[in-house]
Amino acid sequence: MTLTIALAGNPNCGKTTLFNALTGARHHVGNWPGVTVERRSGTFEDSGSTIEVVDLPGTYSLSARSEDERVASQFLASPEVDLVLNVLDASNLERNLYLSTQLLELGKPVAFVLNMVDDAENRGVRIDVPALELLLGGPVIPTVGNREQGIPELKTLLATLARGESVRCRRITVDYGHDIEGELAKLQVEICRDERLEATMPPRWLALQLLENNAEAKRIVAESHASEAIRQQLARSFAFLEPHLGADGATLVAERRYGFAHGLVKEVATTPDDKKSPTAKLDAILTHRLLGIPIFVGVLALMYSLSFILGKIPQDWIADGFKALSTFAGARLPAGELTSLLVDGVIPGVSAVIVFVPVIMILMGCIAFLEDTGYMARAAFIMDRLMHHMGLHGKSFIPLIMGSGCNVPAIQAARTIESPQDRLITMLVTPLVSCSARLQVYIVIAGTFFTPFKAALAIIAMHFLGLALAVLMGRLLRSALFSGPSSPFVMELPPYRLPMLKATLIHMWEKGSIFLTRAGTTIFAGATLVWFLSRYPGIANREWTLDYQQKRQAVAALNLPPSESDERLKALQLAHESRIVNTSLAAKLGQKVEPILRPILDPDHKRAEAWKDVIALTAGFVAKEIVVSTMAVIHQASEEPKEGERLSPLQVALRDGSGLTPLTALAFMIFTLIYTPCLGTIAMIRREAGSWGWAAFTVGYGLVLGWGLAWVTVVVGRALGYA
Amino acid sequence: MTQNLPIPLSLLQPGDQGEVVSVQAQGQVRQRLLEMGFIRGARLRVEKLAPLGDPMELVIKGYHLSLRREESSCILVEPVAG
Repeated sequence: MTLTIALAGNPNCGKTTLFNALTGARHHVGNWPGVTVERRSGTFEDSGSTIEVVDLPGTYSLSARSEDERVASQFLASPEVDLVLNVLDASNLERNLYLSTQLLELGKPVAFVLNMVDDAENRGVRIDVPALELLLGGPVIPTVGNREQGIPELKTLLATLARGESVRCRRITVDYGHDIEGELAKLQVEICRDERLEATMPPRWLALQLLENNAEAKRIVAESHASEAIRQQLARSFAFLEPHLGADGATLVAERRYGFAHGLVKEVATTPDDKKSPTAKLDAILTHRLLGIPIFVGVLALMYSLSFILGKIPQDWIADGFKALSTFAGARLPAGELTSLLVDGVIPGVSAVIVFVPVIMILMGCIAFLEDTGYMARAAFIMDRLMHHMGLHGKSFIPLIMGSGCNVPAIQAARTIESPQDRLITMLVTPLVSCSARLQVYIVIAGTFFTPFKAALAIIAMHFLGLALAVLMGRLLRSALFSGPSSPFVMELPPYRLPMLKATLIHMWEKGSIFLTRAGTTIFAGATLVWFLSRYPGIANREWTLDYQQKRQAVAALNLPPSESDERLKALQLAHESRIVNTSLAAKLGQKVEPILRPILDPDHKRAEAWKDVIALTAGFVAKEIVVSTMAVIHQASEEPKEGERLSPLQVALRDGSGLTPLTALAFMIFTLIYTPCLGTIAMIRREAGSWGWAAFTVGYGLVLGWGLAWVTVVVGRALGYA
Repeated sequence: MTQNLPIPLSLLQPGDQGEVVSVQAQGQVRQRLLEMGFIRGARLRVEKLAPLGDPMELVIKGYHLSLRREESSCILVEPVAG
């Protein structure tokens, strides 16, 4: 027999820590159906019964307005739930009890956990647990979630309760006073006329939500055959209550609930000492008028270095390892389709997925640490004004900045933004932030066509352009997609806490594995597709393969010194690959698409080889750094500069042979910045936004915007006399 | 001094205290503010302003909360001598 317990509570009440303590490693992370809210569930065993624990999103209420609240209230009302476990932050009891008043009205048995009692005691708050049990009508277990204190008792209690072996749960409801109770009773009578409506949720709960003017409750009622009678009764109730009690229904209900919570706290808890808490002392520095911003910049710099400088070390090992594997396989296996599939398709594809894991894990670990300590809310507090001007949220700042390292984890980092609108906009504009992979393209192109000083200037300009575009698009998307008022910025600044290492590690592991399983397959499939496009039909040409093998044997037979022989073999390989790529489906596509790109890459229509750029850009769809290596193959020139030369053979080939001018080179750079996010980013947007639609939208607007901006650059540049 | 008239919360300075008189916002913002404890008679204290001047940090019901000027200007409070 499996019993299901729903874990409900406010944000920052230590719910997830408690969840980890209860279920250990036996849990599963997914999404709630239809929404992108994370669903965490796990099990534990107690004397023969398996207990399933579902961690609901942290909410302040069950009014079903935000996605989180809708998910929580729908699940709590479903017959699946046998018991509700309400986690209360002992040091912030009054506000936490507001949610409890709603949970008690749902009609399910409710047990309570008084979490972080140590914090409360440090603040001088002592809580009379037996009195609290009496007033709440359910068992209360004091715990310290991060020290696993009280967890065994909790497990035993939950198992007995869930099995129905204990009768410690009594129905307690808030008394809303004579007048409101009278109207509630009348509303309930009307609601009960529809049996189906009565069965969906407790009539009293529905009546309360109607008095609060809740849109979701009204929607539910509208579907009922009794809707007209209910509506009329509601109008009569409002007409009676508002003049009588001097406020609207929502205020009255909230007041009574807080009245209940306030009275209860007075009854069972001592008031906190007035001494300065450690949080207040820390905040005096961390959100200081002058020091706040520099400290935040420092934190950001540290996080960036950890993720993208320290994280680059294992990333390089992985990339080098796969490159070595690919070289090894390429040298041992006979040239041909299967070898190419393995060496140019599968191995780089797997590598393209795995290289992201170290940065994702480190950055997500840093973000989880900031969230769990409580600093993330302060960071949003500090940056909100600036970000609000840009149509974004204070918490959008970190993803945008981290995007300049790599867009993929940056999009995942947007999960810290509670409002779905702000989060979606942040995810959609993050790809415009120029990442380190695009930097490699700029270095090659700018280094070829500009003087070193101008090249540096152009590269810096690209980064600023990316940020500026992200801001502009943010404002544009906000007004185009969400015409209503932006979601309210009512954000709790929770007390600072030292997070547990275990929780951070679990979080890092979850993020890494989610990426591998959910985004990995998309990246891998895309990489294989691009391999196919850029290798067929040439790779299947037996004559070319035979010709290549004969030439290699001829070189080997010359008995040259190893270095010279190596060089010749490499040149042969490059020539062979170049022949394949330049006749591939991607090349055909390039020739077809080239007229569209002509205004930006070939305004005078003098370049015979403009279609080759399209191949490189197509390959860049997998990962932007591949643009450079593909160019090397297309132009049959190595990307490594010879000793003592500033330009690599590829750059010389681009300068002398490609027909690009400084102006079209700049247009090429701008287009590379914007045209499409890489596969990793696309896969991540799909996963985080929950639909292919948004991923496709990002690609679409990128192509249009990239083309437009590159075109403007060319037109304006030519008008100013540049070539 | 005469009876204090209700003023928008956004006019309070760091260190000032007040008592909530009413929430003027509508819809979602109103409901959210009520849930967070902005009910008639609730005591609050303005803690500080963010380094860029907005949002503000305040203490209500024993916890710390951050509000943008947009929201704090719809909350009427009666200033109370600390």
